[in-house]
Amino acid sequence: MFCGVSTICFSASYGVALALELSRLLFRSGGRAAVTLGFAGAGLVAHTAFLYNRALTEVGASLSSERDWYLVASWVLVVVYLHLAVLHPKTPFGLFLLPLVLGLIGTATFLAPSEPLAREPASRIWGAIHGISIVLATVSVLVGFVAGLMYLGQVRRLKHKRPSANRLRLPSLEWLRWTNSRAIILSTLMLGLGVLSGMVLNLINFRDKAERLSWNDPVVLSTWLLFFWLLAAVILSAVYRPARQGHKVAYLTLASFLFFVLMLAAGLLMDSRHWGRVERGNENRGTGSAPTRADFRPSSPGGRPC
Amino acid sequence: MLMQVVGCSHHGTSLAMRERLTFTPEQTREALDHWRRVFPGVEAVLLSTCNRVEIYAATERESTPTLDQIGKFLARFHGLAPAEVVEHLYQHNDEAAVQHLFSVAASLDSMVLGEPQILAQVKQAYQVATEQDNTGPLMHAVFQAALRVARRVASETNLHQRRVSVPSVAVADFARQIFERFDDKETLVIGAGEMAEETLRYLQEEGARRITVVNRNFPRAEELAGRWRGRALAWENLLPALTAADLVISTTGAEGAIVTADQFAAVASGRSARPLLILDLAVPRDFDPVIGDRPDVYLYSIDDLQEACQRNRSERDKELPAATHIIEQETARFMAEMYHRTIGPVIERLRLGWQKPKEEELQRLLNKLPQVDDHARDEIRRSFDRLVNKLLHPPLESLRDESRDGVPRGLLDALARLFQLKD
Repeated sequence: MFCGVSTICFSASYGVALALELSRLLFRSGGRAAVTLGFAGAGLVAHTAFLYNRALTEVGASLSSERDWYLVASWVLVVVYLHLAVLHPKTPFGLFLLPLVLGLIGTATFLAPSEPLAREPASRIWGAIHGISIVLATVSVLVGFVAGLMYLGQVRRLKHKRPSANRLRLPSLEWLRWTNSRAIILSTLMLGLGVLSGMVLNLINFRDKAERLSWNDPVVLSTWLLFFWLLAAVILSAVYRPARQGHKVAYLTLASFLFFVLMLAAGLLMDSRHWGRVERGNENRGTGSAPTRADFRPSSPGGRPC
Repeated sequence: MLMQVVGCSHHGTSLAMRERLTFTPEQTREALDHWRRVFPGVEAVLLSTCNRVEIYAATERESTPTLDQIGKFLARFHGLAPAEVVEHLYQHNDEAAVQHLFSVAASLDSMVLGEPQILAQVKQAYQVATEQDNTGPLMHAVFQAALRVARRVASETNLHQRRVSVPSVAVADFARQIFERFDDKETLVIGAGEMAEETLRYLQEEGARRITVVNRNFPRAEELAGRWRGRALAWENLLPALTAADLVISTTGAEGAIVTADQFAAVASGRSARPLLILDLAVPRDFDPVIGDRPDVYLYSIDDLQEACQRNRSERDKELPAATHIIEQETARFMAEMYHRTIGPVIERLRLGWQKPKEEELQRLLNKLPQVDDHARDEIRRSFDRLVNKLLHPPLESLRDESRDGVPRGLLDALARLFQLKD
């Protein structure tokens, strides 16, 4: 039913929505907000259809490939964008969030392998918990990053005593600080859950005598690094009062984003077995199409979590 | 249609004179009653604000009251000498009057360009005139168009987006950009200047509830606190009150800073790095400017706010050409509609005048051709209709063309005489 939907369909919709958001900087228009929401909403529908189609046709665990992971993360980020755009129609959230959405889709299309994992029923639940929690942690880090950028932009404007720009109206510092601190807490909790579920998955593999993921794997190490950074940021904010200052929280979220990029880069560029890969040369990369049963060559029956 | 506006405004009339000519709401009703008796059959709306007094008059008749007559009307109502009043009055007629009303309603003619109150005042003036039975089809058409045009200018330009008074800029451009809500914020007012009261008014509109007033004169502080449903504190409590505050409005008449950087350092240690907005509206300044260098302190002096106002005014001025273009476009459209409305009855009479002989001739022909079936009868009828339409097309087209730039009185007279059109 949704076989005709490709990543180009929803990328184009999000691209048009981003162009419309950019046009806020150039001119004023009455119906632009509704049209922007329309394009982003249409993109979300196509995006959902694409993921649904992948989930139905994929061999192994649904939406378990690295490519799907990026696409699901971008899907959640679009939902967050639409939510914020409806609540705050005068704030150009799309200018900040949609490039991240397109970046995630681009990474999924051109860099991330598309082989799904075939998990044993016992580890499927833990695999789902692991995947979902890491996706939510990712979205929290990205939202925190955007809120941090907006916060620093707003502070700069206020410190320079400039009136608010009509075409680039940012949320209040109070709202941005609240969003920042919640984003850090949520990303820490979700990443903690992701790490924990990953450990459980690895133990299940050990029990089942399946291939385990090494604790030295680059993805595992970078995930731990991000988790400890976030945990330290949360503890610092709770214990040391000056760390609650808005701009310090904003810097923490920006730094968290850098750690997050490091984690993604480790997964994409370094030799990791996290996504069930053995040799990177065999991966189905950059084709933009869903793998078929013939394409599917599982490297091991169990998942390889961090 | 004959429409005119006669009045005076801030452009050429002193405040002293405007004050003498202004109308209270009760006086407006009284004046409109009086107008109906003096100028029966002439529709009128009386717009009286602190910056203008204008009478809009319109009638379908041959003439409207003259400037002198309206001047005398105003002078008599206020007990002034007519000559004294008439010299201050201006007059715009027909298209110029419509354009003037559109400009006034859209706030292009206001003392502060883009100020939002004028639209409500125009609406109010129109409502009062309607309630007093001083309006008719012409005033309904022109005032409803004016309200629509003003809304169009507001939605299609940024004319009304920027605040231009110090208190409104302080709240809209700065306070609201720092705080999401005000009902849980502590507002501290130091001193009791007029500007502080005005700023407090805007803050209360935003939801500010917790207000503390500190003044060297404690009874004065109590008075202001009572007015704003806040609490008054003695001057000695200034620094503790600063520690608790989220937003400070300072307008004392002190000769130097009342809060130094050192004093504020002690205050800051008790604030847990909470953001603090300080609106220092005093001259000389009440707060040492160095305090503004602290990361969580946003300190704005009166100069900073006035500079922001000036920037906003410049931004509004940039919108003026676009707004003026809308006004001109809408005026032209409105006048074309009005002119078209004027020629409408003539067109109708012309059509009716040709309809009767056509029907008679058609009937005569059909009576002579009894063998013709229904289909042929319809064809003949359609043919007659087409003939009449084709014959009427050139004069009607000429009439429409001529009516784009005004009522084509000469052509209307010629048509009336040529085709013997009667009312």
